[in-house]
Parts: sequence; structure tokens; C-alpha cells
Amino acid sequence: MLTSVFIAVVSLALFWMAAFTLWWQMHAWRTPEVLASTRFSRPDGDEHVSFSLLLPARHEQAVLDHTIQRLLESSHDHFEIIVIVGHDDPETTAVAERAAERDPRVRVVVDTHEKKNKPKAMNTALPHCRGDVVGVFDAEDQVHPELLSHVDHAFSATGADVVQGGVQLINFHSSWYSLRNCLEYFFWFRSRLHLHAQKGFIPLGGNTVFVRTKVLREADGWDPHCLAEDCDLGVRLSSVGKKVVVAYDSDMVTREETPGSLMSLMKQRTRWNQGFLQVYRKKDWKQLPGFRQRLLARYTLMTPYLQAISGVIIPLNVAIALFLDVPVGVAFITFLPAVTAFVTFVFEVVGLHDFGKQYGLRVRFVHYFKLIVGGPFYQVLLAFAAVRAVWREQRGRNDWELTSHVGAHLAHVNREDVPA
Amino acid sequence: MTSILPAETQTKVKVPAQRTAAPTAGSTSRTTTSGSASPAPKRLRDSRPDLILCGLLLVAIMIVQGWNIADYPTLSDDEGTYLAQAWAVQEGRGLAHYTYWYDHPPLGWIQIAVLTWIPAQLAPESMTVGSMRAVMLVISAISAILVYVLGRRLSLPRWAAGLGMALFGLSPLSVVLQREIFLDNIAVMWTLLAFCLAASPNRHLWHHFGAGLAAAAAVLTKETMLLVLPAVLLTMWRHSHRDTRKFAITGAITACTLIGMSYPLFALLKGELFPGAGHVSLWDGIVYQMSRPGSGFILTEGTGSYGVLQSWLYYDRILPLGGLAGALLLLVTWRWSVTARALAGPALAVAILAGMALRPGYLPAMYVLQALPFLALVLAGGTASVTHGVLRRWRSATERRPVTWARHVVAVVLAAAAAAYVVPRWYDGNHTAMTFNANAPYQQAAKWLGSEVDNPADTRVLVDDALWLDLVHEGYKPGLGVIWFYKADLDPAVTKTMPRGWRDLDYVVASPTVRRDAVDLPNVKAAMENSTPVVTFGTGEDRIEIRKIQGAGGDR
Repeated sequence: MLTSVFIAVVSLALFWMAAFTLWWQMHAWRTPEVLASTRFSRPDGDEHVSFSLLLPARHEQAVLDHTIQRLLESSHDHFEIIVIVGHDDPETTAVAERAAERDPRVRVVVDTHEKKNKPKAMNTALPHCRGDVVGVFDAEDQVHPELLSHVDHAFSATGADVVQGGVQLINFHSSWYSLRNCLEYFFWFRSRLHLHAQKGFIPLGGNTVFVRTKVLREADGWDPHCLAEDCDLGVRLSSVGKKVVVAYDSDMVTREETPGSLMSLMKQRTRWNQGFLQVYRKKDWKQLPGFRQRLLARYTLMTPYLQAISGVIIPLNVAIALFLDVPVGVAFITFLPAVTAFVTFVFEVVGLHDFGKQYGLRVRFVHYFKLIVGGPFYQVLLAFAAVRAVWREQRGRNDWELTSHVGAHLAHVNREDVPA
Repeated sequence: MTSILPAETQTKVKVPAQRTAAPTAGSTSRTTTSGSASPAPKRLRDSRPDLILCGLLLVAIMIVQGWNIADYPTLSDDEGTYLAQAWAVQEGRGLAHYTYWYDHPPLGWIQIAVLTWIPAQLAPESMTVGSMRAVMLVISAISAILVYVLGRRLSLPRWAAGLGMALFGLSPLSVVLQREIFLDNIAVMWTLLAFCLAASPNRHLWHHFGAGLAAAAAVLTKETMLLVLPAVLLTMWRHSHRDTRKFAITGAITACTLIGMSYPLFALLKGELFPGAGHVSLWDGIVYQMSRPGSGFILTEGTGSYGVLQSWLYYDRILPLGGLAGALLLLVTWRWSVTARALAGPALAVAILAGMALRPGYLPAMYVLQALPFLALVLAGGTASVTHGVLRRWRSATERRPVTWARHVVAVVLAAAAAAYVVPRWYDGNHTAMTFNANAPYQQAAKWLGSEVDNPADTRVLVDDALWLDLVHEGYKPGLGVIWFYKADLDPAVTKTMPRGWRDLDYVVASPTVRRDAVDLPNVKAAMENSTPVVTFGTGEDRIEIRKIQGAGGDR
């Protein structure tokens, strides 16, 4: 009897969790009107704001120049690019200096912090920004030339304080986990973030994010001690009622690549999870006025852990239903979380199809197959990253992972900001 | 390292001037601007004329269907079966008081159990077919409202949606069948809900998902609703938007399949999915239903199916035949008529159900129930189409006054002719339904067995399902004391308690059903032959005899 009650309670809790997550994940496709409203509206040709684009770069001499050149091709007339380099990184500095000599819109700011991380670098550059709006990109981002005009229009048309553009991982064909990783981005930027913007609580993404300079300075910039400074900024700004607008257009997203190996994906995810935990513990979200907003905040920031738990419990539950002698009614309830998981799976398959359509990419049968078969393994990976994050946080290890090993990894670790 | 930002003065944000322009960009802006930019479609529940029309029709339907509901039509065996099984669910005896053998999915009588739970708690003796017919009024009411809503969502004009609702709720055929405790009535309600959600005006993903759930509930209530699912899908396809359609449709199909799978899952958990020695199975149940002997071609005189068709037409010709005609009209005018295309879903449902009825397979008497709402809607749609043709087609802005008048005269004449044909027939049919007592013999038989038999708890009696619960309330032992007559031959759990066959019984209540089926049931037949009527209620074919078995009661 006690077993039955216990199983039923756990199952129902898991069911509601999964159901809410699914509900939010599908936000953008709820009605055709909602879907239409997630896009940028067409700019009217006028320009209303000027931009300061921050480009933190660390050991990225290979890709930096290309990124700067592409940014300079933007159709918008009023912007400056501030490349932030480290004092201990002469190669990248050299590339940046050359670009600054070629074009007056490019400036270089040197970060002299002993221990370096992305928020510190950006805080260093903040006093130098002259534009009305600060935008953040990563050194390897491919930015669409029309993006700034659209963001400009979004600011002026909505009176927003923050505009978050879309970021999309594209290389879904590279490996089984990159497929899932791409799809995570797709659902997050295409759909879920819009819900957060609507509800007034939003963890921002790491790049293609634009904040009014005044607002950013009032908020004292980024938190240099937080592992998810982007998420933290979003939470702090939305908690004090700043208006955030999210817009996603498949031809206007910033394109990125998934981490190069399973291990780096894991590290990136660990850092991000730990960052979320830190944001949760900072309690800025408690200033949110609405009870439901606070609930959403609490739930969103705890998602990695809930995900970890459910990943373990759902299969266990089904096994119990099939092999243990519980009443039929209870056995039925244990299937509920599995049912929602299945529905999520189906929507992911459809989402992959839509992703292919939106980006003109050919999705083959084998990709759908990988998506489904890879699902449980990805779940294990997420669960492991979540456990690892809790472990590191408990041990007080809130340094940026691998910061001590200065080298090529660092740049990667630094820029791979992953919302999921 | 230095760069020049274009003139500082240009960088001021002109927010106040721009804020009012506000086209939609980003999700937050939508919530702030959508109210003024694109007014949401007006909700039906906020429209006073719709509420009044629907409300008045509902009152009329409830009065006609509710008045005399317990006494007409004659109690049916199936009603007794489902209500008794609902009683078994309430009593915690499992899904049936005899072994549940997967004849139908159990959701139907589980719902009946829920609906009748409160009255059964307040007055246990009210748990009989006659009195519990009242709960079917709830189902009828919901279905009738849903027909109206669906009509409006399929863009019928208000009067036509009202006409559909009236046809559905007031046809004497509907009145008779919807009063009865049939699973089909509940399944129809779920199907209509699925249609309404599929045609949701704001095309919400979760409405379509809900349509899938409702469709699954319909199928689990009565499996024959599977036939109508393509029509639900068609409606959803027509009402979804290109950009979100793939999510909506896959969502709905997934929802429907997953819930539908719970039935085989249930069988699996009980270890009864596949046939095996010593237990019933879902597989056997399906095989039985699929292999039921056919009742002949519906249009061949003398076949069972023909008889069933005649029994429908006896109550009403207008709805079945008019509905078929309406469906044909909509099919023919598909290319020109907006109404025809809007009603594609119901028309397809009618077409499928009509096609299946033409198969020489088994045709149950309540088959027509699942077609009634769609017949009503296509008939109303056809009427709207004709009316539009008469009043508006080829009408130019410069049309001369006399022609316009002539159009109106034609419309009024047509309406008057239709009314003159329909009203007297329906008046007669519904008058009978509201006044005639067809169940007096049943009620008298139940009363007699309650008062004249000395020791009900030790008396064994064969009855048909309709009377079974009455006798349970009179103190007979459910299952082996008061016995569904055919279980005496077909259920091993019952026959093994009758080692001496008919000699172990005390009474047979010979209702028309028992007399009809006894031919194929040796134990029942023997009991009939070795018994004599103690008392008879009613006369002729419909009489009910209480027959006492010879030599019974002495030596047991």
C-alpha cells in the first residue's frame, strides 16, 4: 500500500513537471498568431539607435578577423565594434589592432584582469561604449548583415530595454549529440524564450543580446563571479521590470557550432547548470512581483536538477509497473510520465522536420532515427552534467572550468554559453 | 584603437513617437498590441443572440426528452447490461459483476458509474434502468449544445446552427434513442467535442491535442467511433494553419493513439492481452465482435438489417433521409458552395457511416445514433445552402424590387411547406414519447417479485438485463441469485453452480428478449419448457410472464 502511494505520488509529480515543460517548449506553435509574433517585424528604414558591439576574443586569432569583417558589412549606419582582448594574448590582440587600423568603427579594449572570464572582459569594455545599445557577440559568430536594422526597429517599435535575437546551432549532422544539441537551441530560441519574455522572467542567452547602455550601466554590468552571467543579467533585469523582447527569424539568427566533443559539451553544460544554481541562490528573482512569475523562475532555474531526477526515475517507474505487483490503477499512473515523454519525443521529431525546412537543410531518415535512439543517452548526459554541477557547487569550485590551463580550450569554454 | 561614432545627437532614441506605432515584433509586444491591432474572433459564449437561441432550444429539448423518460421507450436489454456493469463498478466489484470479457472497452460504463454515483449514494434503490435514464439527459444536453457550437464553428449562420440543434435533439428518432442508456450516446458526446476542438477558431495547438484526447475517449467508450475519426482529422486539417499544422495534427494523432493504447495496456497489465487457457482476452473479444454474424443487406426486404432500418424510419424519416439528401447536395455543390466545403467533416462522417451500413455485416439497432449529429448538421447545412441559393445567388446590387420579393416569397413557401410536413409527424412521434407508458409490465413484474416471493435471498431467478438491478434492490443475490438469463448457458462460473440444470432454478421472467433468445440457449429453453406462468403482465408480444419452475424450491 505504502509503495503504491509512493509510486503514484512520484509519478504524478513527474507527469506534471514533464507536462509543463512540454507546454512551454511548444509555446511558439500554440497558434498561428503566436508563431507570427515571434518574428522580427520589418524595419521601416529609419534608424533610431546606435550600437556598441562587444566582441570578447581569447585565443581566437584564426576566426576573429572574419567575424569582424562580417560585422562591418552590416547595413546599419551607426555602430562601433569593441574587440576585447587579454593582455596576455598577443596573437589575438595583433589581429584586432590590424582591424582597428583598417576601419575607424573598430576599437580595441585590453582586459588586464589576472584571472580572466567573459563577464570581467565585458565589464572592462562597458565604460568605453558610446552607443545607445550594447550588443554582445562571440568571436566566431556569423552575424546577418540585416540583423542590426531589425534589432533597431524592435527597440524603437516596442520601447524595449533588452532585445534578444536568435542563436542557432546548425551542424546537426556532425554527431548524435550535436543533433540533439541543435534541436535544444531550436526549441529554446524559437519557442521557450518567447514565453519567458511574455511572462516577464527571462534568462538571456550569451550572445546576440542587446541591452540599452543606460540600463546596463544602472545594473552595474555583468556579474563577474557568476558562471552564467548572461542568464543572471536577464534575471536581474526582468526582475526589476525591464522589458525584454525576443525575436527569432531563421534567416536572421546568429549561427554557431556545437562543442567539438562530448566532453566539452559536458563541461559546458556543467558550467551552465552551476551558473543557474548560482543565479537561483542569488535570489534576485525573488523581487519578481507575481507569485506565478516567481514559480516560473524557481522552476526554470532548477530545471537541470529536475531533469536529472526525471531521467533516472521514469524508466524505474515503468519497470516497477511492469514487474512489481501493484494494483492496475497505480500501474496506469506510473505510465503517465512515460506518456508525456513520448509526446515530447514526437514533437521533437516534428521540430526536427521544421528545423530542416526553416534552414533549408536536408534531414534524412537516419537523423530522425538518431534523434529517437539518442534521446535516452542524451538524457543520461544531461543528468550527469547536472549531478556534476551540484557536486562542484557544493565543493565551492565556482571558477570557470579550465581557467588555469590557459590555452585553446579556454576560449572554447569561455564562449560556449548554452541555454538549453 | 580609436573610432568615431557618428554624431552623438543622432543617437537619441525617439521612443515616445515610436511606441504608438507598434507593429508586432517580439512576443512581449504582441501581448501589448494585439488587442488593438487584430481583434480576436468574437467568442460564442459572449454572444447574447447565440446564448438565447441555444438556451431556448436546450430547454425545449430537455422538456421533450425528459418528460416520461422512464416509461418510454421499452427498457432495452443493453441498457440493463451497461447500468448493471456501472453498478458493479460503483460497488467495487470490478468492471462487471460477471467476468469482464472485453466485449466493449469499459470506459463507457465507468462514465455511467460516475454520472450515477451521487444519486446512487443518496438513494441506492434508484439505481435501475428507468430512473437512471435521467442522467442521459445530461449527455443529451451537452451533445445538443456541442452540435450548436460545431455548427457555428463550421460557419453556419445562427439560424442554421439552431436548426441543426433542433433536428438533432427533437427528431422523434433522437428522442427515443437518446433517452436510452446506450454507450453510443456518450461516445457521440465525445466525438462532438473532438469535432468542436478540431474546429477551434483560434487554432490552438492544445485544442487540437485535446481533440485527439476526446476522440480517444469516444473510441474507448464505443469502439465503433473509430469509423468517424477520419472526419475529425479532415475537419482539423481544414481548420489548422499551414505554419502550425504539422504540430497540431501530429499532436492530435499522438494524443489519440496514446490514450487509445491504454486499453491494450490494461489488458496487458492484467495478463489478458492474448488468448490463453483459463482466462478471457482482448484478442478473443475482438475476434468475437469482428465475427458476429451479418444481418444481411440493409435494402433487402426480410433481412435483419432491413428490419433495423425500418425501425428507424418508423420513428422519423426526415432526419435520416433528409440528412442523406443533405449530404448528397453538399457533395454535388462542393465546387460552388462555401457551406459545402465548410461542412466537409460532418458530410464525410455521414458518407462513411452510410457506406458501412450498406455492408452486409452486423447492423445494431443503435448504429444510427452515431450518425444523428452529422445528419442533423448536413441537413441544416443543406437547408442553409438552398436558402442562400434562393435569396442571394445571382443577385446583383441593381436587382429589381419584385424579383427580390419573389425570392423571399419562394423562401417563405419552402419553409412553410417543410414545416407543414415535419411538424405534424414530429408532434405525433414526440407526443407518444411524452405520454405512453411502455414499461408498465416491467415495473409490475419487479414489484411482484419483490412482494410475492417469500425469501428472495435464497431464490434463483433468470431475468433479462433490464430487470436485473430492480431485483438486486429487492434483496436477490446479485450474480447467482438473480441471473442474467444467458449466463446460465454461457458463463462457466454460473453453470457450475447449476449441476442439475433447470432444476436448480426457481423462476424465469420471460420478457420478449428472453423468449427470443431462449431458442439458442439450452438451459434457458429447458427452464422455459419446465415452468408455468404464475402471473402475466401486459398482453401480446410485449407481455412479461413470471414462470415458476416445476418442483423448484423444495429440495435444495
